[in-house]
Amino acid sequence: MNAPLLADVLFWLFAAGSVLSAWRVFRADSMMRAAYWLFASFVGVAGIFLLLGAEFLGFILILMMAGEMTIMVVFMVMFMMNPAGLNPMTMVHQHRTSIAVGVLAFLGLAALALFADFPAAPVADTSRATAELGTELLGGSMLVFQTAGVTLLSTMIGAIALASVRGRYGDAEAGSTEPQIAPEGVGRGSHAMPAAKEEPEMDEHHGHLGHG
Amino acid sequence: MSPVTRAVLGVVGLGGSLAVLIYLAAVLDRVIGHRVAQQPLRWSAALALPAREAARLVLQQRSRTERSDAEAWALAPALLAAAAAASVAVIPFGPAAAVADVDAGLALYVAAIALVMVAVFLHGWSPNSVYPLIGAYRFVAVTLSFQVPLALVLLATALPAESLSVSAIVQAQDGLWNVVRQPLGLPIFLATGLGAAFWGPLALPDADDLAGGTRAEVSGVPLLLWRAAQLAVLVSIAAMSAAAFLGGWRGPWLPGVVWLGLKTLAVLVVLLLAGHLLARVRQESFVVFGWVVLIPLALVDVFLSGILLL
Amino acid sequence: MRAALARLAADSPVPIFVLAGQGAAGRVDGLRLDPRLRLVDSPRAASLLLVAGRLPRSWLRPALRIHAQMPHPRVTVWWPLGYAPRSLERRFAGVVRVAAQEDVAAVLVRLQQALLRRERASEPDLLPDVDPAPWRGVGPYGQGGKGMTGGVPFGRPLATRAADRDGLELDFLPIRVGPFFPPLPVGLVLELRSQGDLLQEARVVEPAPGRPLPGDVDPVFLRALAEPVPLAALERARARHHLRWLAGMLRFHGLHALAGRALALAEAALVGAAAVRALGRLLERTLALGWATRGVGIVPPEQLRGQPLGPVARAAGLAEDARSVDPAYRALGFTPVTHREGDAHARWRQRLAEAAQALELAERAGDRLLAGGEGVVEAPRGRLTAGGATASPLLELLPALLAGQEWGDAMATVVSLDLPPVEPVQGASGVAA
Repeated sequence: MNAPLLADVLFWLFAAGSVLSAWRVFRADSMMRAAYWLFASFVGVAGIFLLLGAEFLGFILILMMAGEMTIMVVFMVMFMMNPAGLNPMTMVHQHRTSIAVGVLAFLGLAALALFADFPAAPVADTSRATAELGTELLGGSMLVFQTAGVTLLSTMIGAIALASVRGRYGDAEAGSTEPQIAPEGVGRGSHAMPAAKEEPEMDEHHGHLGHG
Repeated sequence: MSPVTRAVLGVVGLGGSLAVLIYLAAVLDRVIGHRVAQQPLRWSAALALPAREAARLVLQQRSRTERSDAEAWALAPALLAAAAAASVAVIPFGPAAAVADVDAGLALYVAAIALVMVAVFLHGWSPNSVYPLIGAYRFVAVTLSFQVPLALVLLATALPAESLSVSAIVQAQDGLWNVVRQPLGLPIFLATGLGAAFWGPLALPDADDLAGGTRAEVSGVPLLLWRAAQLAVLVSIAAMSAAAFLGGWRGPWLPGVVWLGLKTLAVLVVLLLAGHLLARVRQESFVVFGWVVLIPLALVDVFLSGILLL
Repeated sequence: MRAALARLAADSPVPIFVLAGQGAAGRVDGLRLDPRLRLVDSPRAASLLLVAGRLPRSWLRPALRIHAQMPHPRVTVWWPLGYAPRSLERRFAGVVRVAAQEDVAAVLVRLQQALLRRERASEPDLLPDVDPAPWRGVGPYGQGGKGMTGGVPFGRPLATRAADRDGLELDFLPIRVGPFFPPLPVGLVLELRSQGDLLQEARVVEPAPGRPLPGDVDPVFLRALAEPVPLAALERARARHHLRWLAGMLRFHGLHALAGRALALAEAALVGAAAVRALGRLLERTLALGWATRGVGIVPPEQLRGQPLGPVARAAGLAEDARSVDPAYRALGFTPVTHREGDAHARWRQRLAEAAQALELAERAGDRLLAGGEGVVEAPRGRLTAGGATASPLLELLPALLAGQEWGDAMATVVSLDLPPVEPVQGASGVAA
């Protein structure tokens, strides 16, 4: 099997894999699965990067997306009540609008891909992609990347400040319940308990380790 | 030799050597554990123990839980093993010999460590059970804290080599090993490496305070695969520290492969000892430690090696 | 192929999950040192279920659920330890009973080999394999809720949402940690509510508040309430208790090999204070054990004053020890050891120091007898009086102690308090109701 044929086969495999897993993102019931199908789609794209000779970018894409998709899963579990899809649910809304927009975008990009005049500049076999990337980052595109870098840094600092131990109502280690705003004994009592709907069931049916 | 033959030989060789090293790691773990506990253990018994355990696990039934994510649960040990194998593939065992001598080998290595995080999270989420879930997201919190120092100290070793390829890093150590030029590098790498393999003090996902954590609902062949894959990650950390800090295949008289193996085993012994002598860290303390101590130290390491370069 | 694997696996350590009932605690620790056995944390890792001692009726259902989780091949073994409840044999059909003088480990190894060679059939399920939630008629899984919100699919309530300290509505997961959870003392059932990694709330379900806890007290302490006993025997029992607890704590923190060393010291017939102090020095040098326990589970001395809480109170700075007033101890120059911080770190160092001190007293005491018979004795967990055990005040402190802590820290706190196992109130005889 000569190299160009192998490259073609791999390209179509990665491309088909990306598109299929991107489709699965919207068909999955479980949010965790949706996030990791998206990750699989990105891995396909990273494979295509490798085929184009941009190895560093490909591996960095996998590295970043692994962390990002996992954080996305954690956030979804934090905020949604049905992250595993155990209850029936649908995560897709506004079907007609999204189908219309999707078709339009596909037509536009397909037109671009078919009719635009892409330059034919094959990358030489001996090129050192990482060195060229480094030269570009610190040479011609330095202003762009430094600005983006400073923006990212300030975002990170903001996020760390938000997540700091000294929360809005005091130290996180001093217990994490919101302080009462009604005086004790009037109205709510223990705020942290939600209006638990099916309390009696909790007796026997917890977790899978029947330690209780 | 055609590329296809070379690739197949490489994969087979990689799998074989990884299997041997995993087995040796399991044996060493038992021996060191018994030595620390001051209990006698015959070498013949120690050599056979992992095989016996594996046989017993093969004969055990695999557990099912209710409404688990069966595909993800089956995927997790495979992903862990694949990540470990991919990360070992970039490590050279001779002057121009690595299974996958990629130009951006370090980037592949750090990406593989990130995949470990994904695998552990999948392993904890899939059984639909409380203790594995807690283990999984504890690990995510800790991993994000140690991935940055791990990448930074590896980058510091790339600076003298002026290349991200691990072969070039080993080549650049012909005068002086990196452990001498960059004294901060190896300790930080070993500390964060223990986290990457969730071993010993950083065994947070499979912890004893969670009745086994992500392993709590696993039994039989999946458990065997998970434990083997975890040891594979540990071996990968040891091999990379041998390559990036201890000169890899460099050494007199003996062939390069043997030197790499010896150095890997030495680092493995250190890692296993740490597992037996250091208690499990508190999650919150370690996150703070990672951001407040490890990252600045890793940055200092990078600056120092940059200054040396200039 | 299968036979070859069975032959290979025959000599591997037998994984057992232990349900330690009444009277079992000390004997089970002895099993840990046996290289032929391996005591595991999770029933899914075990092949054999060892029921030791007497299981009260309220623990039978959890025990059956644990049995249901064990993968095949499995067998249940019952180690009576002098009790004869028939309900166990009724519920656990096919349980293997260990005869009085048999070596438990040998029985377990024999059974494991028989299971692997398929000479013995694996035990079938004892509980019916049915859906826990009755069909509610709404939704394809019978969950009864409306769409995405709430309901109990498959009888397991989903995490709901509740406000956290910053006003965000985050997931809120109720977790019930039940009688046989390894870090907790046997029989303690906690209802925890976790939000993210912090426990918002903890509630003690079992034992019910106010119920007396006999605990697993070494009989020599009970005898000391009524009559003079040799001081050496008392102090050795104390050291043994503390060393066993230390082994459990080390296992909890992931130091299994060092726990084996501590347990070997505990089980040794004659151990000197020097060996214990050497172990203590090694543990002090292990920095991470300091990280793992410093500042965790601080109990302020005000909450402990006047309570018969032994090492927990002394680790918080209160020098209360019933031995100080005893003439036999005073003759040996006994002064209580104290530490100041009152956290988990202080508590394990306190117990280690007390174990070493106890062994030193035992060495110097010779044949001295405790004055005894006064109805008050300092047991390893605290002051014991002739009136019988009272409910442990530590259990009342537990909810406030655990709230706001991360899971690992909360469990470390419970381990450091050395709570007694929750044992059933003594009936008229050893027969389970």
